Amino acid sequence: MQTVKWILLCALALGSTPQEWQRVMPGMTSSFPKDHGAHPAYRIEWWYITGQLESTAGRRFGFQFTVFRRGLGDTPNPKSGSKLRASQVLAGHLAITDIDNQRTLFAERLRRMGSPLATASEQDLNLHLEDWSLSRNENGRIALRAADAKTGLRLQLELEPRKPLVLHGDAGYSSKGADPGNASAYHSWTRLGSTGEMGINDQNFAVKGEAWFDHEYGSSVLEEGVSGWDWFGLHLEDGRDLMLFRLRRKDGSRAPASAGSLIAADGSVTNLDAQDFIINSRETWVSPATGARYPAAWSLEIPTAGLSLDIQPLVPDCELATTQSTGVAYWEGPVAISGSAQGRGYAELTGYAGSMEGRF
Amino acid sequence: MILRSLWLRPTLAQPTRALITVLGVAIGVASVVSTLLASRAAIASMSADVQSVAGESRLEISRPGGFETSDLEALRPICTEALLAPVIERTALSPDLGDLVRILGVDLLIDQELRSIRLDATGNELEAARNSMLHASGVAVSESLSKDLGIGVGEEFELVIRSRKVTLQIAAVFKPERFDSAWDRFILADVALAQELYGFEGRVDRVEIKPRLELNLQQLASRVEGLLPPTYQVQPASARRDEGERLVRALEFNLTALAGVSILVGIVLVATTLATSVVQRQNQIALLRSLGASRSQIARAILVEAGAIGLVGGSLGVALGWIGADSAVSSVRATVATIAEGVTPGIIRLKWEWALTGISLGFFASIFAALLPLREALRTPPIQGLRSQHPQSIAGRPWKMRAALFALLVGAAAFFASLPPLADRPIWALVSALFLLSTLLVLAGPLIDICAGIRPRFMGAGAAISIRLAQAALEASRTRAAWAASAVGVSVALAVSMTTMVGSFRQSVVDWTAQAMPSDLYVRPLTTVGGASAGTIDPALTEVAIDTFGADFVDPFHQSSAHYKGNLILLGGAAFTVVAQHGGVPFLDGRPSREVFAEAAERSAAVVNEPFARRYKVKAGDTLSIDTPAGFIEREIAGVYRDYSGHIGRVVIALEDYLKAYPNEGPKSIAIFLPPDQDLESSRANFMQALAGAYSVEVLNNRELRAEVLRIFEGTFAVTIALQIISSLVAAIAVIAVLSALIRERRRELAVVRVLGASRTQLFNLVLSEAFLLGLAGTLGGLFIGLIVGYVLVTVVNLQSFGWSLDFVIPGSIFMILMIVIPACLLAGLAPAFMALRTAPRESLHANG
Repeated sequence: MQTVKWILLCALALGSTPQEWQRVMPGMTSSFPKDHGAHPAYRIEWWYITGQLESTAGRRFGFQFTVFRRGLGDTPNPKSGSKLRASQVLAGHLAITDIDNQRTLFAERLRRMGSPLATASEQDLNLHLEDWSLSRNENGRIALRAADAKTGLRLQLELEPRKPLVLHGDAGYSSKGADPGNASAYHSWTRLGSTGEMGINDQNFAVKGEAWFDHEYGSSVLEEGVSGWDWFGLHLEDGRDLMLFRLRRKDGSRAPASAGSLIAADGSVTNLDAQDFIINSRETWVSPATGARYPAAWSLEIPTAGLSLDIQPLVPDCELATTQSTGVAYWEGPVAISGSAQGRGYAELTGYAGSMEGRF
Repeated sequence: MILRSLWLRPTLAQPTRALITVLGVAIGVASVVSTLLASRAAIASMSADVQSVAGESRLEISRPGGFETSDLEALRPICTEALLAPVIERTALSPDLGDLVRILGVDLLIDQELRSIRLDATGNELEAARNSMLHASGVAVSESLSKDLGIGVGEEFELVIRSRKVTLQIAAVFKPERFDSAWDRFILADVALAQELYGFEGRVDRVEIKPRLELNLQQLASRVEGLLPPTYQVQPASARRDEGERLVRALEFNLTALAGVSILVGIVLVATTLATSVVQRQNQIALLRSLGASRSQIARAILVEAGAIGLVGGSLGVALGWIGADSAVSSVRATVATIAEGVTPGIIRLKWEWALTGISLGFFASIFAALLPLREALRTPPIQGLRSQHPQSIAGRPWKMRAALFALLVGAAAFFASLPPLADRPIWALVSALFLLSTLLVLAGPLIDICAGIRPRFMGAGAAISIRLAQAALEASRTRAAWAASAVGVSVALAVSMTTMVGSFRQSVVDWTAQAMPSDLYVRPLTTVGGASAGTIDPALTEVAIDTFGADFVDPFHQSSAHYKGNLILLGGAAFTVVAQHGGVPFLDGRPSREVFAEAAERSAAVVNEPFARRYKVKAGDTLSIDTPAGFIEREIAGVYRDYSGHIGRVVIALEDYLKAYPNEGPKSIAIFLPPDQDLESSRANFMQALAGAYSVEVLNNRELRAEVLRIFEGTFAVTIALQIISSLVAAIAVIAVLSALIRERRRELAVVRVLGASRTQLFNLVLSEAFLLGLAGTLGGLFIGLIVGYVLVTVVNLQSFGWSLDFVIPGSIFMILMIVIPACLLAGLAPAFMALRTAPRESLHANG
C-alpha cells in the first residue's frame, strides 16, 4: 500500500529505456544563449548553482539551487490533449547550509510543465518554478530568486560570471559510459561573483561570495552498473577551478567514464580523464534520516596538475532527502580545501541512499 | 393506585384502543424522523464529501465558468507561502450503475500534500498505474466502486460524460483513509485527463490552496484576490459546503413542515383518545376525588397516560422512521441533485440524538394533546357533585364564546398569513395554517349540533329512527363527538389542503409546460434511474442539430452559475431569435412570449424567472448587473417568466453573449422546432441517424417531454400522496376510537333500546348512523377549513418557499376525498356496531345495575 506519493516517485524514475528521446552524441555542437535554455527533446536536464557566501558580519553559508527538468513518458511529443498532460516536469531544490551553526535546511518544489507555474525558456536561461526563478539578463548576469515559508529560507542573488563558459568534455559532449549515447551535454560557469541577500526565518543577511553554475542535459546519462557519482566543484585560491566527477559502480569501484576539467585562472580548460586523478575517501558519515553511509573527507591527487588536496566537508549533515520532488536522497554540501592549494567548493554525493541507476 | 385504576387497568382492558392511539403518534413521528434522517444524510454526505475531498486545503479559488489555468502565473508570488492545487470535480453517469459517479481530477504529482489516498498496488503495478493515469485514460477508483462495478485493475468501464460514452481503465484501486463513505462513488483521475473528458482544457473548476505554514487565512485570501481579476472568489472550502447545506436545509424545512402535518393528526388522535377516556372514566375520577385524591394526583395520572402514549408512540415512530428513511432518501436526492449536482444522500445513520428528538416529539405532542382533556378531568367534581351519570357532563361552550374564539383564530391566521417570510422560510404562513386548523376544534361542536338537527324526511321510517337515535346519542355525548369530528375534520382538512396545493401546482405545471415547451423535439443528456441529470451535451451535437434542421429551428440552452449582488444565481444562454419565432416560456404580465423574446433579442435584454424577480424585487424594465467571468454584464429585463423547474433565481441572456463570457461546455438541453411540413417521427428518426450512435442522449417528442415533466412532478409530490393516505387512515382511527368508547359507555342504553324492541338491524344501523354523522360533521368542517388552508399554501407558502405564483385551483379529487372519508367512517363504525351486537342486553343491564 502506498500513498499517491508513488506517482511522484515513479514519475521521476527513468524506468524504461527511452524510445523517442534524443540522445547526446559525439560531435554535438552548442549555440548560446539558446543552449542556456531548456532542451525538451532530451529527457533529463538540470541547472545547478552552488556556492559559498559570507555575510557582512562574517557568518558563512553554503547554498545550492537546482532546477531539474524531467520527461516522464516514452516520448517528448505526447499525443495531443490537455496542455497539463504531465509529459515533462520541473523539480527544484533549495538548500542553505548554515556553516557556523552546522545545519542544512532545504526546500523543494515540483510542478508539471504546461502549467504557468513551471516554465523553461528554450531561448535562454529563464526558468520559473512556482515562485522560484533563475534567469539570465541582457548583460549576462544571472538572477536567482527562491524562498520557502515552511523552512524560512530566502535567497536572492545576482551572479556574474568571472570566467568564460566552460564546455566540458569534447566541446560540451561529456561521456558517461562506453555507449556513445550514454552522455550529457555539459557546460559551466565555474566561477561567478555572487552578491545579494539571504534569509533564514526572521534573520536576513547581506551576502557575497563565489558560486558555480552547471547546466547539463541528456537522455541516458548513466550506463548500466553505475550506481551513483561523487562530484566536486572547487575554487582554488590560485584562481584555478576544478570539476571532477567520479562515477561509481555498484561495487564501489570507479567507472572508466569518470572525468573532470581543470580551468585555469584565464579560463583555459584542461580535460581530465579517469586516469588523471586519484580520489579516496578517508571518513564516512551515516545519515540519521536515511541510514545512508556517505564518504566524509577525501584525498585528491592530480599529478599532472601538481595538486595534492585534502577535501573536508564543512558541515557533516548536508543530506537532502527529497520526498516531495525527485524522490532521491543525496548529499550536497560545502567543502574546504587544503593541501597543495587552498580553496573552497561544493561536493555532491549520490547513490548512497539507493542506487541512481535507471534514474539518470 | 390512582395510576392503576385510571390508566393501567383501562389500558389493559382495551389494548386495541391504546394500540391505535400509539400507532397514530408513531406514524406522525415516523414521518418527521424519516424526512429529517434523509435530509440530514444528504447534508452529512455533502459535508463529508467536501471535508474529505478538500483534504488539507484551506482556501479555494473559483469563479463561474472555471479558473483559467493561465491565471496561475499571477499567483506565483503566493507559492512561497502556499501550495496551489488545480482541481476538477464533476459528475458522470455510469450506465452500469444507472447512477452518477464523481470524478475528482487532481494534479497527481503534488496531490499527496493535500489528500491521503492509499492505492492498493506496489512495484510494477504502480509503475503501470502511473503510466496509465498520467499518459493515457487510467483512473483510480474507490474500493467500493470497484466492487459495485464488478471489475478490477486493468479492466475497462464506460461512463457517459457530456452525452458521449467514454471508456476508462481502472489503473488502481484506492481506499481512503478517512470518510470512507464520502469516497464511495469517487473516481480519481489526473487533472489533465479530467480536462480532456469534460472539454475543459485551459480551465479547472477550482484551485485549492494549502498554506505551507500557519497563516492568517483572511490575509492570504486578500493577497490572492489582489493578484487575480476581480471575478474570482477566494473562500474556505467549507463555504461550498455551507452553500450546499443552506440549500438542503431550506429543502429540509419544506419537507419537515409537510411531515409535521402528520404530527398534528397524531396530536388530534391522542387528544381524542384522552378526552374520550376522561369522559369514560368520569365516575372513577369523581370517586377518586371523593376518596381524597387531589387534583394534582389526577393530573399526574392523565399526564402519565399521555406521556406513556407519547414515549411508546415516539419510540415506535423512530423505528418506523428509520426504516422509512430509505424511501424518503430518493425523494430528497432528486431535489438535492437539482441544487447541488452530484450530492448523494449517503447512508442513513440513526444517531441517538435523532432518536431522542423523535421520542421527545412523540412525548411532547402527546402531553400537548392532553392539555384540553386534562382541563376537563380537573373540572370533574367529587362523586357527590355528579348530579347524574349521563354522559353529557363535559359542558359545551356557549355559541357566542365559540363565535368569538373562531373569529380570533381566523383573525390570527389572517394576520400571520400577511407577514413576510422569516429567514426566507414561510414560517408565519405555516403558523397561519395551524391557526386555521385549530378552528376545527371550535367548529366541531356546532357542526355536531347542525348534523344532529337535520331531520331526514326523505328516509323511510326505519332508517329515520336510526338516524334520529344516532343524532340524539351524538347530542348527548356532544363533546366527545366533537373531538371525533375534530379529528376527522383535521385529517380531512389536511388531505384537502394538500390535494388543493398539489392540484393547483399540477395544473399550473401542465399549463406552463404547454406554453413553455412548444418544441417538437427536445434533446437532453441521459439521466439516472432516479431522474437526476448528468451534466451537459457535447457542443458538437448542436452542430448536428443545426445541420439537420437549420439554425432557425434549433435552440440550445446553456447554463452556468454567475453572481448577482454577491449571490449565486444561474445564468442561461438561449437562442432568442429562435424562441422569438416559435414561442417559449409564459410571462407573468401575460405578454406573448414571442413578443418578449423578440424585444430581448433586438435590445440585447435579458429575461428573468419569477423566483429571481421575487427574491431580488426586480421587474421588467429594471437593469441588472451580472457578475460573469468576462466581467459585469449589464442587461435590461425584458420580462419575468414563470418557471417551475427550480426555485433558484435564473437570468437568461442571448446565447451569443453568453458564449462570450463562458466557455462552450455544451448546452444543458436542445429544443428543436420542426420546419413546416416535416413529419415528427421521421424527423426524429433522421436526427437519430445523423447522431450515428455517437451520443448518449434522449430525444423526446413534445408529448413525451410533457409526460416526463409530469412524471417528475408526481415523483416529487409522492410524499403528499402518502400524507393524504395517512390523514384518511387517522380519520378512520379517530372514528373507531371514539365510537368504540361511546358504544362501550352506552352499553346500558343500547341494551334498553334492544329490550324495548329494537331489532339487531336497527341497533346496527344506529351505530353506523352515528359513524356517518360524525364523518359528515368532520368532513364538512375539514372541507371548509382545508380549502382555506390550501389557499394559504398555494398563494403564500409556495410563493415564500419557492417564489412560484400558482393559480389556485380546486381539484375534483377533493370530492374523491369526501367519497373516501365518509365511507371510511362508516367502515370504521362497523367494528363498534358489531361490538354493540355482540353485547347481550341482559348482561349489559345487569352489569350497569
